[in-house]
Amino acid sequence: MKWLRKTIQNERRALERARRSFIGKPTEKRLHEVRTTGRRFRSLLEDVADFEPSLRLLRRVKRAAAATDAARDATIIRRLLEATVDADEVEVAQQVLEQLRTQERLATDLARKRLRRMRFLP
Amino acid sequence: MKPERVDLQGVSNERDLIDRVVRTRLREVERLAGGLEARDNQVLHDFRIACKRLRYALERFEAIDPSLHDAAERLARLQDALGEAHDRDVLLMILPPPMAQTQRRLRREREECVDQAASLWIELRDLISL
Repeated sequence: MKWLRKTIQNERRALERARRSFIGKPTEKRLHEVRTTGRRFRSLLEDVADFEPSLRLLRRVKRAAAATDAARDATIIRRLLEATVDADEVEVAQQVLEQLRTQERLATDLARKRLRRMRFLP
Repeated sequence: MKPERVDLQGVSNERDLIDRVVRTRLREVERLAGGLEARDNQVLHDFRIACKRLRYALERFEAIDPSLHDAAERLARLQDALGEAHDRDVLLMILPPPMAQTQRRLRREREECVDQAASLWIELRDLISL
């Protein structure tokens, strides 16, 4: 099916573009882009595995997602805490926020290192 | 949670492909929708992931079948509500005991998100049931 091959190729390229963009400058927005394009591509490969079995590629896409999980979690949770903390508990929250910021920084660096070694195009 | 295998045997055109993929992913979603009543973190998480798979499939096939657009949009809203609930569950796990007021607020908001997701699911189910 021509349409299917073209779609796989397009999504594969999109993920590679997002990966390169994140490695070049690892911002929150670019991290989100890597994760979203990765999830879409993974879902496509899983949906059409009967037609286009690509186990190695699928494993690589899953590894890319796993490499970015910790960075994403820390960012989302830090933002949520900043937005919901009760006025009387701001002081206690500072310690948690500081830990989350450190975790965010370290996890983003690690994600960058791991993604630098991955390639999604042949 | 591993996705269900989509049986593509005998599929020879795009229309059949869409039908098989959407039916399989929809079946997964319907199987896990009980999570909305149980309100348990893990079951809700599995339901959210299944919704995500179905949404991606619908969005991908929209170019061929524009009638899928409405359901994809509603699924995105459902998934957002479930995502908000999940984020609150994760934050609640790391908050220290002295932050009781923030915890109460997060629990309340979490329940509101699940309620919202349940309403969205009822609307969506009528639109896309098997």
